[in-house]
Amino acid sequence: MNQDEKLNIIKDILLTDEREFVSSIEKKIQILENTINKQKELSEKVNPIIDSKLNNFVKDIPETLGPTITSTLKAEIKNSQDAVVEALFPIMGKMIKRYVQHEMKMLSEKINNQVNKTFSFKRFFRRAKSKAAGVSESDLILQDHNNAKIEQIIVIEKGSGLLLAEYSKNKMADEDMVAGMLTAIKSFVEDAFIKEDQSLQYIEYDLYHIHIQNFSSFYIAVVISGVYNVIFKDDLEDELLEFADKHKIAKLLQNKPLLSKKLEEFFKNDDI
Amino acid sequence: MTISKKIVLIGHFGVGKTSLIRRFVENTFTEDYKVTIGVHISKRTINISENEDISLIIWDLEGQDDIKKTRPSYLLGTNGFIYVFDLTRPVTFEHLNDELAFLKENFSTVPVKVVGNKVDLVNKIYLKEHSEQFDNVVDYFVSAKTGSRVEKLFAKLAQDLIQK
Repeated sequence: MNQDEKLNIIKDILLTDEREFVSSIEKKIQILENTINKQKELSEKVNPIIDSKLNNFVKDIPETLGPTITSTLKAEIKNSQDAVVEALFPIMGKMIKRYVQHEMKMLSEKINNQVNKTFSFKRFFRRAKSKAAGVSESDLILQDHNNAKIEQIIVIEKGSGLLLAEYSKNKMADEDMVAGMLTAIKSFVEDAFIKEDQSLQYIEYDLYHIHIQNFSSFYIAVVISGVYNVIFKDDLEDELLEFADKHKIAKLLQNKPLLSKKLEEFFKNDDI
Repeated sequence: MTISKKIVLIGHFGVGKTSLIRRFVENTFTEDYKVTIGVHISKRTINISENEDISLIIWDLEGQDDIKKTRPSYLLGTNGFIYVFDLTRPVTFEHLNDELAFLKENFSTVPVKVVGNKVDLVNKIYLKEHSEQFDNVVDYFVSAKTGSRVEKLFAKLAQDLIQK
C-alpha cells in the first residue's frame, strides 16, 4: 500500500459524514432550482399562499379600503356633477325607455287580448263607435283605462290675454301668468302662419294637453290630463259651446267672480 | 276686489326693461345681461285703496330699435305702456318723439309713461345738456340698479289706470 492509497483510506474514514451531508444539500438545491425555474411547480407551492392572502384582502376591503373609496367617490361625484350626469343620462334614458317600452308592450298585449277574446255587446258598440269616430279600438280601450280629466279651465280675453274667469280642482299655476303666456304663444303662432281664419287649437305640455276653444272676443283654455283623443275633443267642444250658449258668457265677461262660479258649477263633474 | 291691467314695456335692446320689471316684481338686480326673446310675462298685485287691489300683468317685450317692428298682436288690449330708453346711449332716445307719435296714433287712449333708465350712471350736468330732448317728454328718470323711482313709476301708472 503506497502513500496515496493510505491517504484515501484515511479520507474515507474521516470525511464520510461530510460527503453525505454535501450530497444531501446538493439534492435540496437541485429541488429548489427546479421549483423556482419551473413555473408550474412554483405555482403549486405559491398559489395557495397567494390565494389565502388574496381572500383575506378581499374580505378586509370593506373595512380597510371602503371608507377611502367611498370618500374619494363622493368627492369625485361632488366635484364633477355635470360629468356624472352626462355619463349617466344616456344609460338612465335607455333603462327608462326599455322599461316604458316593456310596459307599453304589456299594455298593448293586454288590450289586444281584450279586443280579440271578448265578444260582447260592449265590443260591438265599441267597434261601431271606433268606425264612426275614426279612432282605433285600442285607443278607446286605452281611454277607458286612463280617462281624460279636466284639471283647469281658464277664460281669457283675446288680445290683452287678461284672465276673465278660472276654475281649477288643483291650483296648477298662476292663472294670470298662464293666461298671458298662452295668449303670447297663441299670438306668435298665429302671426307666424299668416293664413287668415286659422288659430292655435291645441298645445301639448308634458303629461297635459291644453285645448283651446276660440270665441270672438275671448277664448277658453282647458288643461286636460289623461288621454286626449278625437272623441274627447268633440265632446269637450260640445260642452264648451253649450256652456257659452247657456250662460251667455259674452255678457258675463266683466264679472269675474260670477263667471268663475258658473264655470265651477258646469265643470265640477267633468265626466265628459 | 282685484282688477287686472296689461302693462307693456317697450324700447330698444339693452335699455333695462327686464331689469326694471325684476326690480319692481322681485326687488332684485343683476348686472348680467340676458336678451329677452319674444315676450316674458310677470305679475305684481299692488294695493291702491282699502278694498281695491290692482294686478299688473307686465309684458316684457324683446327690444326693438324701431317700435314699428314690434309684433302688433303683443300690443293688443294694452292698458298702459312704459317706454324705456337708456340715458347713457343717445341712440336709444334720438327718435323718441317719432316712437311716441306712433303710440299716440295707434293707442290714443292708452296712458304712456316715458322712462329714462340708468340715471345712476349720469350726472345732473348731462341731464341738463339733454334737457331739450327730455323736458316735457320724460316722466321719470329711474334706476333699476338702485331702485330709484321704480316703485313710484308703477304706482303712478296704476293710479292713472284706475282713474281712467
